[in-house]
Amino acid sequence: MSLIELKEVGYSYNGEQKAVDGISFSIEKGSYTTIIGHNGSGKSTLAKLMAGLLPVQEGSIHIDSLKVCEENMPKIREKLGIVFQNPDNQFIGSTVRDDIAFGLENRLVESEKMEGIIDEYAQKVGLSGFLDYEPQNLSGGQKQRVAIAGILAMKPEIIIFDEATSMLDPKGKKEIKKLMYDLAGGDDITVISITHDIEEVLQSDECVVLNKGKLFMQDKPEKVFAKAELLKKIDLDIPFIEQTRDTFMKKKLKLKAKDLEGMAEELWRYRSNR
Amino acid sequence: MNNLVFGKYIPIDSFMHRLDPRAKLIGLFLMIAAVFIPKSWWAFLMIAVVELIALLLAKIGIRMIAQSFKPMIVMMIFLLVINVLTLHTGELLFMIGSVPVHHDAIFNTLFVVVRLLLMISITTLLTATTKPLDLTLGIEWILKPLEVFRFPTHEIAMMVSIALRFIPTIIEETMRIMNAQKSRGVDFENGSLSQKITSILSLIVPLFSVAFERAYELADAMEARGYVPGAERTRYHILKFHLADYLFILICIAVFAASILSRIFL
Repeated sequence: MSLIELKEVGYSYNGEQKAVDGISFSIEKGSYTTIIGHNGSGKSTLAKLMAGLLPVQEGSIHIDSLKVCEENMPKIREKLGIVFQNPDNQFIGSTVRDDIAFGLENRLVESEKMEGIIDEYAQKVGLSGFLDYEPQNLSGGQKQRVAIAGILAMKPEIIIFDEATSMLDPKGKKEIKKLMYDLAGGDDITVISITHDIEEVLQSDECVVLNKGKLFMQDKPEKVFAKAELLKKIDLDIPFIEQTRDTFMKKKLKLKAKDLEGMAEELWRYRSNR
Repeated sequence: MNNLVFGKYIPIDSFMHRLDPRAKLIGLFLMIAAVFIPKSWWAFLMIAVVELIALLLAKIGIRMIAQSFKPMIVMMIFLLVINVLTLHTGELLFMIGSVPVHHDAIFNTLFVVVRLLLMISITTLLTATTKPLDLTLGIEWILKPLEVFRFPTHEIAMMVSIALRFIPTIIEETMRIMNAQKSRGVDFENGSLSQKITSILSLIVPLFSVAFERAYELADAMEARGYVPGAERTRYHILKFHLADYLFILICIAVFAASILSRIFL
């Protein structure tokens, strides 16, 4: 069984228009899944439903065979953490140290054990020297890393990043994206990233495309972007590499490389052979 | 507005910073009570001296504390005007046009102003030397006896702590909205009273909207990290009273007692 299973999930904020409508898909353990779609396509609502922050009105969501519902919430919270878009709105403690401790206090971790856990996860996100810093003395990227450390300290199996890089500068974006890849790659954490960053989607294992609250597509990123015409119909961006591949394809030249460097080499070889 | 220090924690190491938050809270209540009791300038001078020593021990500049008085200036002027217009007892000091200014009007205003300034500086001293989270623990401890009446002490303490934590963020937000509105031609400084009210509304409405949005997101973030109001939690910071804390409380009790004595004898 998959780690996360959604079956015909539906949700409406006002009882009339559905923000999420009959969505079904599954996510495998240890995978890096990206969820894309326009604003208002239901991405964040879906994240909140998975995290149990909104009640599932229709269908069902199972996390590691546990149904997401009120009575299972304590167990679900142990398995799943969520990092939000605005780093300022999730900084609860007065310092980095206190903020990481917040989740541990809720988890009833003993005071003596907290210091070690805080140090370990601050080091993991590269904030060892910033433990006594206040939020206003940190950059956006650093604040977001604090939020990630706070979640990691609770040792979840799944982390949802709800547009966690969208409010950051390019440097902050790069730092957080690297951290996200490392978590999925080295720590066996299942990462779900809600994003508008098409380049990030290319690096993921699986891509879910939402449109107007409904599931539009779910597949490997390269397969999703191979259906460029379909994506264009819902006005979604196509990555530059896929646009280039598509253009050469029309000229009867099939390029297989997954990145720009590889594509350049392929083109160079093609030119040399001619 | 960026220079506001009221409610802002100043992260330095000092004697006052190291004191237990509970001792500081008890001290705050005693000192504020002491400020409201006396009717003698000597008693105010004594409280001011004690406060000055506390400020030096906190390594917080007097200029910084003086900044926290700024928002009160308008209120003080308003108070002075009201007193001048309504209090006509005591010696006539001088006339402003046809308005007589009496000794009691000036004296009473000064009395209230001194009390306010002392109170603000005591509160600023507490918030500047105590981390919001420590303040939460202190408030929770002080309110603990009310739990017998099912009073939600932890929730109240958490609310206060978050409110304090978000003061700098809200100030930043206010500045941002002010600049955005200024760039669209809103004038916050000039114009008639009705124009000023309209200008302020253009600041308050988006500010409230953003504050509510922040509150919802913060609630989601807290819930996602396992926070359940009223549920049992462990503590990262365990509070412990030390000798310095007992001494600090004793000094505050002494000031409070001296203040009562001054009321009786001076």
